Amino acid sequence: MKKSSLGVALAAAFAAAPAFGQATVDQKLQILQQEIDDLKAQARRSAAPTQQASPYSLDYGSMLDRSSGLASGGTHVVGYGEVGYGKFRRSGDATADLQRFVFGFNHRFDERLTFHSEVEFEHAVVSKADEGEAEIEQAWLNYKMSDAVNLKGGLFLIPLGILNETHEPPTYYGVMRNQVETRIIPTTWRELGAGVHGVVGEGLRYDVGITTSFDSGKLDERTTGIRSAHQEGQQANARDLAVYGALNYRRPGLLVGGGVFTGNTGQNGVSNSALQGVSARLTLWDVHAQYRVGGLDLQGLYAAGTLGDADKVTAAILAAAPTPADAFAAPKTLKGGYVQAAYHVYKRGNFDLAPFVRYERIDIKQQEDPANGQLQDPNNIERVKTIGVNFWVHPQVVLKADVQRYATDKSQDRFNLGLGFMF
Amino acid sequence: MNWRPRSSLALLTLALGAAAAGWVRGEVYQEADAFVAEVFGTVPAPKVLWLTKDIQAQAAAILGHPPAQLRQRYWSDAHKSVWILEEIGKEELITAGFVVADGRIDHVRVLVYRESRGQEVRYPSFLKQFKGAKLAQGARLDREIDGIAGATLSVGAMERMARLALFFDRMSRQ
Repeated sequence: MKKSSLGVALAAAFAAAPAFGQATVDQKLQILQQEIDDLKAQARRSAAPTQQASPYSLDYGSMLDRSSGLASGGTHVVGYGEVGYGKFRRSGDATADLQRFVFGFNHRFDERLTFHSEVEFEHAVVSKADEGEAEIEQAWLNYKMSDAVNLKGGLFLIPLGILNETHEPPTYYGVMRNQVETRIIPTTWRELGAGVHGVVGEGLRYDVGITTSFDSGKLDERTTGIRSAHQEGQQANARDLAVYGALNYRRPGLLVGGGVFTGNTGQNGVSNSALQGVSARLTLWDVHAQYRVGGLDLQGLYAAGTLGDADKVTAAILAAAPTPADAFAAPKTLKGGYVQAAYHVYKRGNFDLAPFVRYERIDIKQQEDPANGQLQDPNNIERVKTIGVNFWVHPQVVLKADVQRYATDKSQDRFNLGLGFMF
Repeated sequence: MNWRPRSSLALLTLALGAAAAGWVRGEVYQEADAFVAEVFGTVPAPKVLWLTKDIQAQAAAILGHPPAQLRQRYWSDAHKSVWILEEIGKEELITAGFVVADGRIDHVRVLVYRESRGQEVRYPSFLKQFKGAKLAQGARLDREIDGIAGATLSVGAMERMARLALFFDRMSRQ
């Protein structure tokens, strides 16, 4: 839009002043404002003919300068993070840790096509000598055909459980993420693939797709179920793929849903030659529910899974280990669940205080090989009680404190403090 | 599972079929003019609320950030007013229409929802919670609005806009 055009239009508006008759100053201002809105709309169209701004932001004069949320060209920065302190009861040891800081860039190409990403740094320092990790947690494209149909592709989160897709610290109770959605459902769990998702009816969300699978040849942790075999989009062996599906029904205060993921994990022995020709099918599924009414907040989840050919996977781990003591029995069946209750006892302004309790059970049965000394690890049968409090000083910033008691691995008994945020 | 072209083709066909079925449904649920006309019968001449410094300060307290606009267009008669407002949920603007009658929310409708998740805020089961709501102390609503799992920020945006519509209505009648 040329300045001269704006000038002509304004001059024309003033020239028409006699036509106002006895119009009040307010009426004249409204007419001039209409002229300005029309000119701005014209300017926007002239400047970017291929970009369609939200009609409402111009015609209704509400968000004239907030171009980031309009139909195209917006790039947003998002992020979340958490700091934790844990003091262990038995040993007296204590640690403080920047558990994670995550930031992401989300970009809108046009009305339908968007990009979503998250880059995560764990434990503050990433170097060869430190524990920290840097990883891409998500990097995917979404093509929105309608609310009912979205196509996505890239590295995205698998829709199992509650925590895996919604894991920002202010959205869950407790300093530590729950054990069931860590050791049975390997949160934060993402795969490379493609999927279709959307909302149908009034609040029924579906999500189905085909993705990379696990690689049993990469199993290297004995107490985290199948977790260490997920490939996280890092040069993933993709001879064996997986499919997933999830349904979640949401209405105010209520969430009921579940999901399933299944695929072979042998990957034709690329990571461990002893698994050549072995299917090692993994199936994980879950059901969950959340109910919030008044100040009460209830949540429950049950997750289970099986790993086929677990005897062959155990043998493969043993074959690859430097010594039998370095090997372990592969997980054969996994199941676990938790129930959680919280009550918002104080809400004023942004302040929100909610004590909570949670009880978890984890049961990971391993494929033993007694002849070679590979036995069930007792720590894979666990009960965890957590009691604590979340205190939101803002809907997106939370302080947390809790006490945890483990029935089997009592060295994990601890007191936790945490600070979490998201934006 | 091993890679099987047939099963992948079936999945792709399913996706495209679903896509074709859903193509006709866009993210603009209702045009603002149609919403206003629905309330008043026809679209009356709009009015403008100028955001003076005092109004801006109070709007900022409600929104948690300064309002982007210096003036807000609205439609009203003796009893009710209509406000088309926009607020960011997680990262995109939500456009919603609010009808205020005698100082209470009469009804709310989401006109445009741009994010790929959280659309549940547009369903009547969520929006009906606002009916009859009025401003209480501290410019807060006189009731709790039940949230939707996974759509916390969109729910918060809808609540802030409801409070702003009630506040603007009050200011427009002074």
